[in-house]
Amino acid sequence: MSADPEFEQLVNHYYRDLYRFGFSLTGSEADACDLTQETFYVWARKGHQLRNPENVKTWLFTTLHREFLKIWRRRERFPHETINEAAEDLPHVPAACVERLDAQTLFGLLGELDDDYRAVLVLYYVEDLSYKEIADVLAVPLGTVQSRIARAKAQLLRRLTETQLTTEGNK
Amino acid sequence: MTAQEAKEALWLYRGPVDDADPKFQEALAFARRDPELTKWLHEQRTCFEAIRSKLRDIEPPHALAENIISHRMIPFRYDLNRILQLAAAIVISASITAVAMKLWERKRDRLGQGQETIVTGEVLDMSCYIAYNLSGPEHAKCAGDCIRSGLPVGIKSGDGKVYLLVGNFQAVNAELADYAAKIVTIKGKQSIRNGFTQLQVEEIRKL
Repeated sequence: MSADPEFEQLVNHYYRDLYRFGFSLTGSEADACDLTQETFYVWARKGHQLRNPENVKTWLFTTLHREFLKIWRRRERFPHETINEAAEDLPHVPAACVERLDAQTLFGLLGELDDDYRAVLVLYYVEDLSYKEIADVLAVPLGTVQSRIARAKAQLLRRLTETQLTTEGNK
Repeated sequence: MTAQEAKEALWLYRGPVDDADPKFQEALAFARRDPELTKWLHEQRTCFEAIRSKLRDIEPPHALAENIISHRMIPFRYDLNRILQLAAAIVISASITAVAMKLWERKRDRLGQGQETIVTGEVLDMSCYIAYNLSGPEHAKCAGDCIRSGLPVGIKSGDGKVYLLVGNFQAVNAELADYAAKIVTIKGKQSIRNGFTQLQVEEIRKL
């Protein structure tokens, strides 16, 4: 058992969210576990440097994302787009379609997106972070975050529609 | 703002978490006045919640939190300021202790000068005792010979303290040679210098 109740509390509070983020980035349970553990290890070494305790969540997500980038290396940098560039036809997916999917399928569809789209989308959907906090986690400008979310969301919903059509066609 | 612009802005709207963001406020106000946009926004929100709920269904392996907590490495945090403070504290403490001990020794020596003292213990031949740790009845003859020959003479008290025995600017070997390795009581004036104690003999009593 840990002799540090604060650390234990921190782990219990955030490990699920971090794991989910790690899983969305890597698509692998083992890699997501490694990333989550590494994040808390970095916290144990450097967490005391954090001045504002309110930023713990952003700090942890930023660290996990950095660790992910260290391991998987960026093959190419995404250009910094603005939100206007992302204005496309917005797909419409009824919520009932999503309800029929399981989480694994949804993560599978997420996995088909580019790395940067995947990361931003999971933070957008799951973690209740503001756009500014998402930008801090991913170390990209705010406009780029909004643009990526808009594009990524459109891509995901299109894939959802295609999956739904394929499923219904097979019946 | 047009309906299309409002729609594009609200494409990213998630619900209460974004309410404080001014980017959405104008578009939300617009949507409230447009029933078609209101309906579209409602569907967007429902779809968002459905995806969010599905994504949150993913659960980490059972033992993950336990592993992180139980295998937590506790690294040494290099805090240079703390290390320097600790080093400074050690140096200052050591300096204070050294100075205090020196002062205490001087005071003790000063207090010890000429103080009337009575010591009971074994008469020693200092040469053999210091060089070879020889004392006691089995060494009595050698000790007597050494003392008689003029080698330094001393006394070892019951608590193990050893005193050099001298006369008043003259040797006391002749008087003490017969008491070699025997227990006697000596009254005299004690002097201490650099941790070394001498007793100027005034009276010798055989027990």
